[in-house]
Amino acid sequence: MSYTIYTATGCTRCKIVKQFMRERGIDYVEQDMKAAGKEAFQKFYIANRKSIFRGPAGVEFPILTDGSTIRQGIGASIAFLRANHQLDGFFSVGILHKEWVDGIHISSGNPEYAVEFLEVLRYLKGNNMKLQLDTNGLNSQLLQQILDEGLADVVIMNVVGPRELYSGILGQDVDITEVEKTISLVSRFPEYKFQTMVVPVIRQEGDQPEVRYLTAQEIGETAKFIQEVTGSMKNPYYIKLWQPKEASDPRVKTMEPMTPAGLLSYRNPARVHQVFAEIEKAST
Amino acid sequence: MTYPSIYPTGVTIYNPEKCWNGYTIFQVEDLGALLINMNGGEVKLWKNLHGFPNKLLPGGQVFGHTGERNIAFSVQDGIDLIQVDWDGNIVWKFNQYEFIEDPGEQPQWMARQHHDFQRAGNPVGYYVPGMEPQVDKGNTLILCHKNLVNPKISDKLLADDTIIEVDWEGNIVWEWVCSDHFDEYGFREDAKNILARDPNMRTAGPGMGDWMHINSMSVLGPNKWYDAGDERFHPENIIWDAREANIIAIISKQTGKVVWKVGPYYDTSEELKKLGWIIGQHHAHMIPRGLPGEGNILVFDNGGWAGYGAPNPSSPTGAKNALRDYSRVLEFDPTTLEIIWQYTPSEAGYLHPVDSNRFYSPFISGAQRLPNGNTLITEGSGGRLIEVTPDHEIVWEYISPYWGKAFPMNMIYRAYRVPYEWVPQLEFPQEVPIQRIDVTTFRVPGAEPCGCSNVTEVAGVLPYQADNTLCVAAGDEFDDKQKE
Repeated sequence: MSYTIYTATGCTRCKIVKQFMRERGIDYVEQDMKAAGKEAFQKFYIANRKSIFRGPAGVEFPILTDGSTIRQGIGASIAFLRANHQLDGFFSVGILHKEWVDGIHISSGNPEYAVEFLEVLRYLKGNNMKLQLDTNGLNSQLLQQILDEGLADVVIMNVVGPRELYSGILGQDVDITEVEKTISLVSRFPEYKFQTMVVPVIRQEGDQPEVRYLTAQEIGETAKFIQEVTGSMKNPYYIKLWQPKEASDPRVKTMEPMTPAGLLSYRNPARVHQVFAEIEKAST
Repeated sequence: MTYPSIYPTGVTIYNPEKCWNGYTIFQVEDLGALLINMNGGEVKLWKNLHGFPNKLLPGGQVFGHTGERNIAFSVQDGIDLIQVDWDGNIVWKFNQYEFIEDPGEQPQWMARQHHDFQRAGNPVGYYVPGMEPQVDKGNTLILCHKNLVNPKISDKLLADDTIIEVDWEGNIVWEWVCSDHFDEYGFREDAKNILARDPNMRTAGPGMGDWMHINSMSVLGPNKWYDAGDERFHPENIIWDAREANIIAIISKQTGKVVWKVGPYYDTSEELKKLGWIIGQHHAHMIPRGLPGEGNILVFDNGGWAGYGAPNPSSPTGAKNALRDYSRVLEFDPTTLEIIWQYTPSEAGYLHPVDSNRFYSPFISGAQRLPNGNTLITEGSGGRLIEVTPDHEIVWEYISPYWGKAFPMNMIYRAYRVPYEWVPQLEFPQEVPIQRIDVTTFRVPGAEPCGCSNVTEVAGVLPYQADNTLCVAAGDEFDDKQKE
């Protein structure tokens, strides 16, 4: 199999991915978009722009392709090189810069490939990268291993709602004890935060489903959930705005978006149980 | 600012016929919230009730605070905002803005309130006919602090200003964060440069930049400009001023955006040049409907030192790069910027500029428009309150006799006059006129009177001339040079 890696001159992450390939004897062609590979990258970008994320700071490099699959960013690239599609879900494009790597999702991948996943994390850490991981409570066993080995610098847990709504919001049966275990583990990392996005919740299925946003009271219960598990009212806890454009479920795509000011009424009940509760500003 | 060693305190001038008579409330450091009558009689003290400021409510209730956060960790954070009845019972309290854990201190919720607040029913916190603040319900707007870092402004921790609206139950229902609107304030590049390096850093806590230092906040209320179709002056919009930046601004309650402002520069139009460079100002507000001058902006333009910009001999770094050593009280039209009324050293009778520093408070201070057209001025740093008529006659004067222990000044942050009817617990006081003492003849015991008993005539001497014989230009000569 032949790989092409699109890089940018001086990009440390690109160097680490190339090093990974050299160490494993993987052949590749490099196209440096700031040098001789500029034209090649432009052609590639135009042909594949739907698969290439362009954030506020521009396009993140490296971008790796085997001709049919495209992976962007250091984590996703090394994961693909290590385990092909087995680690899909664990990695996506990040938005952090310099030594920080995010877009690592503990709960979104297949835990059967824990060995390969942890191997990628070790490789990134071994190359002096700092890792920001996120979880929604699933795959707590993986998080335990990450904690034991010190593989995460920051962990963000999306506590999606109070106990009784957890399965409904995630759209799958959830063992709430696993979520509780994750909450407990998260609070033991040197740097962490909990967050809840105020999402629409399908309250009643059917031809005309009843859909309502998480209520302020439910956010209060979520904060209480965190308090009960961690035994602390002083966790960093953020309430986030949900955007209809983020929805994949057509039943909620037409929801009227909430305003940042609308979240103020959620902060008050949250602070009853988590005193540092704050509204997270949308990234610009 | 030029005081002799010995001078009287308390009420020194009082003309009941020309005054808008009532009680006056203000905060006295180390004493509490003090209510005095027109003769200076201390008719009520809420002992040790802090106030930043104290404001009186109808029925003899008062706003204040139980205390301030340890100054090692904060810049002027009030722990809470409380409403206290005549007997000292707390009838309303807000403190749940931020949970604070300062080293060595008891962790607790705090309001982090500073400088101002407004209870629904009244836009400005002082007496307006027909606009009484609510006492047993209603939302309260509160000016607060929040620490944050905003890389657009500086990489340093900021003590940012926020305005929150809380309901009677204490829920925060609206919040505005000053730094979110940095791009709307119109700072030039030289100002941004010094702001990035020194956003008015204070030593509290890990060090924090009190970059704007908003020191007043009030609601516009119903006004003629909005009635005429000018949306900038929507009655719910909020006016504030920032002493460090020399900005007075109105923000939309709906969007939070700046919809009107003067400053940070006063050299960008002929109207602004005529208004003059406002520096370190306090208590900018719109005179509410029902008071003389309604719709105009009333502000205590302190002078002193403030602003960000290019370095100059008085400001080697560009911080606090505007200076003036006298104060002005300005009333101006917000649509034309024309000055409608003013009280400056000239109106006070001082030869300008050589004697102008006799009307000068480089910090704190305020101005309240009274129903009869008079203005109650707090010349704060010297603890002086004066009531002046529209034609600038001082008809009431009070000098605070209280010097703080930790803070050796008799300063008054901001005083308010309220009608007697707001304090039903007291009998209407007697109003005893106090004539101006002729200071040319007044003597303390032991001092001898004017008039020399041994006078010698000198042949050939000429008469004395006017102020153009001084070392510097003054009076008309100074004014003429300014116009050139």
